[in-house]
Amino acid sequence: MMSQRMRNALVDTMLVGTVVLLLVFFYAPIATLVAFSFTSSRVLTLPIEGFSLQWYGDLFSKPDFWPAVRNSAAVATVSTLFATVLGTAGAVAWIRYRFRLQGPFRALTFAPLLFPQLLLGVVMLLWFSVLGSWLGFSTGLVTVIIGHVVYITPFALVVVAVQVYGFDETLEDAARDAGASGWEVFREITFPLLWPGIFSAAIFAFLLSWGNFYVSYSLAGTARTLPIFVYSGIAVGSSPIYPALATINLVPALLLVIIAEVLRRRALKRQASGISAS
Amino acid sequence: MRIERKSWNDPVLVATVAPLALVMVAFLLVPLLMTAVLTFQTTQYYRLVWTWDLKIWTEVFSKPHYWTIMIRTVAMALVCVVLTVLIAFPAAYALATRLRTFKTQIQILIIFAFLTDAVLKTFGWILILDKNGVANWLLMHVGLPPEMLNLLFTPAGTMIGMVYNLVAYPMFTIYLSLVRIDRDLILAAYDAGASRVRTFFEVTLPLSRPGLYSGAVLVFVLSLGAFLEPKVLGGGTSPLASELIRQSFETRVNWPLGAALTVVLIAIGALMLVACAAFALRRTSATGRSA
Repeated sequence: MMSQRMRNALVDTMLVGTVVLLLVFFYAPIATLVAFSFTSSRVLTLPIEGFSLQWYGDLFSKPDFWPAVRNSAAVATVSTLFATVLGTAGAVAWIRYRFRLQGPFRALTFAPLLFPQLLLGVVMLLWFSVLGSWLGFSTGLVTVIIGHVVYITPFALVVVAVQVYGFDETLEDAARDAGASGWEVFREITFPLLWPGIFSAAIFAFLLSWGNFYVSYSLAGTARTLPIFVYSGIAVGSSPIYPALATINLVPALLLVIIAEVLRRRALKRQASGISAS
Repeated sequence: MRIERKSWNDPVLVATVAPLALVMVAFLLVPLLMTAVLTFQTTQYYRLVWTWDLKIWTEVFSKPHYWTIMIRTVAMALVCVVLTVLIAFPAAYALATRLRTFKTQIQILIIFAFLTDAVLKTFGWILILDKNGVANWLLMHVGLPPEMLNLLFTPAGTMIGMVYNLVAYPMFTIYLSLVRIDRDLILAAYDAGASRVRTFFEVTLPLSRPGLYSGAVLVFVLSLGAFLEPKVLGGGTSPLASELIRQSFETRVNWPLGAALTVVLIAIGALMLVACAAFALRRTSATGRSA
């Protein structure tokens, strides 16, 4: 009996251990980047001899840094807007509606998740190149945005779909019975109930777009976003400015993820308790 | 959850479905068809010539160089599937059944790592795996010989990067199928006198198969397009298919060739997807019958 209990305890410890090891694995490169962003030396090896903020200054004074930031911000903002709206509509159509051709619709909207990003980028690059040679345009930020919308919308769709799935539509019925119009029901009931999911999808979309390399790399032409800036930089030689950039990215991104997740989970929990109570 | 039947005459349905469907048709379906069409074209002096020609396909199938790289790509993808599933399953299982107190925090940490810029994370791995990097420094300080690990610019380095960038996918799918398992089934197995180990192998594991299969296929398909990892961590010493595709566009400016290699990769991925779906369906119907 004792040995059984000990074996169970051992299994528990090992299972918890895997999660801890996985987190170490996930955060090893991220922590390394943060640590090296504060080094005073140019070489990125341990031990770190002294503390300095010099690389942050160096990063900001790089001439091609700010254009990359502006491009990334523009691309991420516009792509987020489109991906969130299309993803929300798609999630409602996936979960709540039944219609003719729903199978093909689902396949088509889910397909980008099953594509390696590089191939998604290449396929679109070929199309835009052919189209561009006919219509006389070349790839640039607009094609990057289109590529991001195609890649990111399925992610947004999945996040919102979770919220739609737990949706309690008796509230809509109640509003309709009380005389609300279709638009009022949407504005006063449907949207407020779905919005934690939508908000969370928007944060996901923004961060996926902000950090996207593959699709941008294929479709950006001569324009540069931040990941392309880093990629072409580290191809030439490593420098502590890239760890500095990673560290700057970290804090706002982490805050956004925490806010989005907490809101979404709280809403889901409320829905779950609401359904079981009714 | 109530389901509404909608007809295409309903403007609400058109407004919800049409914009997304149009985007996917115009920028995914049509480009895919165009890619297939381009494989039958040729180039002359770096310019595309519109013909109907099998020249590119004969080139793709006759050059052993392409075969070597395609086989290597598939082999790497298969190894990556095995490693990611071996890591993801116990972690997802622990997250679904243990660790109640810190579950939310751990999930947020995993999601955040997943959403962080892949180029920067891969660069972080360079700093760890380098000969003078963090890993060797740590090993030296616990008393092991200096410069013990030599992983950067090797296929092992590529693999670490691929596993790192993809392991979150099977974690999500396996976790989702584990939390959907009805707790009563497991309790029933205990009541019937099954040990924890036996319950795991006869109830939990079979019921988590959908997540296991879909996670594995997802990793396989996504690893076929790995580009950053072989380039940055593998040092380009043993290139994968993605590098071949990039070269055909950038160095050789040969769109038909790039298109053909892309079609080959998509076909490999699609075959695997269909095979796995068929296998999973047979397995589930078999268990259904025996139960």
